[in-house]
Amino acid sequence: MSESDSPVVLIVEDEPAVAEGYELWLEGEYETKRAADGAEALEVVDETVDVVMLDRMMPELSGEQVLAEVRERELDVRVVMVSAVEPDFDVIEMGFDAYITKPPDREELLETIDGLIHRAELDDDLQEYYSLMERKSTLEAQKTEAELAESAEYAELQERIDSARAEADDALGDVGDDQGFVGANRELFGEPESENATLAEDVIDETDAMGGEDEEN
Amino acid sequence: MRRTEDYDVSGVLPENALEELPAGTNVVVTGPSMSGKRRLATRFLAAGLDNGDGVLAVTTDGSLGIDEFERYVEDLDRDRVEILDCSGNDGSSAASGASQRVSTPADLTGISIGMAKQLKTLPTQRLDGLRYGLVTVSTLLQFLDVQTVFKFLHVYTARVDDTDGLGVFTFTGEAHDAQARNTILGQFDAVIRLRETDAGDREVQVRGDGVAPTAWIPFPYGALSAE
Repeated sequence: MSESDSPVVLIVEDEPAVAEGYELWLEGEYETKRAADGAEALEVVDETVDVVMLDRMMPELSGEQVLAEVRERELDVRVVMVSAVEPDFDVIEMGFDAYITKPPDREELLETIDGLIHRAELDDDLQEYYSLMERKSTLEAQKTEAELAESAEYAELQERIDSARAEADDALGDVGDDQGFVGANRELFGEPESENATLAEDVIDETDAMGGEDEEN
Repeated sequence: MRRTEDYDVSGVLPENALEELPAGTNVVVTGPSMSGKRRLATRFLAAGLDNGDGVLAVTTDGSLGIDEFERYVEDLDRDRVEILDCSGNDGSSAASGASQRVSTPADLTGISIGMAKQLKTLPTQRLDGLRYGLVTVSTLLQFLDVQTVFKFLHVYTARVDDTDGLGVFTFTGEAHDAQARNTILGQFDAVIRLRETDAGDREVQVRGDGVAPTAWIPFPYGALSAE
């Protein structure tokens, strides 16, 4: 965590005026850091960063390549793609946690970042909910229905279960949305075992070999 | 697509035990192995195919293929059924007609990506509702611990709820103690139990939110075979 305890957002954007605009929206609630391109982003990003806002179209290293390297380092950080192009389904497969269409409006940007900060709590919240449900099952296995109806412990447990569930659902966000659904699974269970992971590694290897040449977008 | 009307499941269970389920409901069919859970779940999923619904099914053991749906629906519109096979099986042990494949039931993120693709492929403009199937939760528990499966089911059932769908699951649970079984069952709104009497007859019971509870009702084997 950072010194101020505010979540840290790293803005990766090559146009200073645009980056400053984001900073203005985020200040107060978040601590911000800036990087002008992908290479600088990889220098700045570390365990203290909670969310990276990544412009998809950047000279030198593309957003996809930066993402692949961030994942490779296994940093506990969520990455938002900011793109002028209406994102296709490949964004989900590529492993971005969310996307924002450029230029974003303030509301959309803050909501997206807030959702991702919340999602970081999802595993802990679900773990708590699971533990309480497990205790409930234990009581149910031990006692008769009549005993349960009179048990203060059981009633209190049920209340705690309801609030733990509400908290987990808050962290879960909107999973009716494809990005939200896959993002929640990615948060809990990690990267898919499919070709995506290998594909990302290939991109980085190739980049090293070619001295960081730009990928087509 | 917002949906407020109930999902029609009339005629699947005997004695009108269950006629409809509210949008967003997640129901699990549980009972001993070979009690007909998969067949019953398939009927619940297929019941809306003639009536404007689409199906997104996940088969964890390769047992739920398009042929299972063709048993119950005459002139099946295959475009309305999307099957994701994560069994890792090849050849004849893989699900027939599966359009998405994930190499192992342990790849939960891969399954979620496949499910998002299923939804993209379905002709959602033409659909009135979505019925999600997961057959079977038991396989997931062979690959993953109880808490991981619990978390996955929480996200999956929330997806069903957030898209106003109907979720249909099967679960044997014989390999687990009562505590683990009940913890998993706690993720569902309604539970349909199957059991076999000492005389070898099958019975069914319905319990849960949004449904009228029933006693144990005789449910003869063969009642679900294709007429």
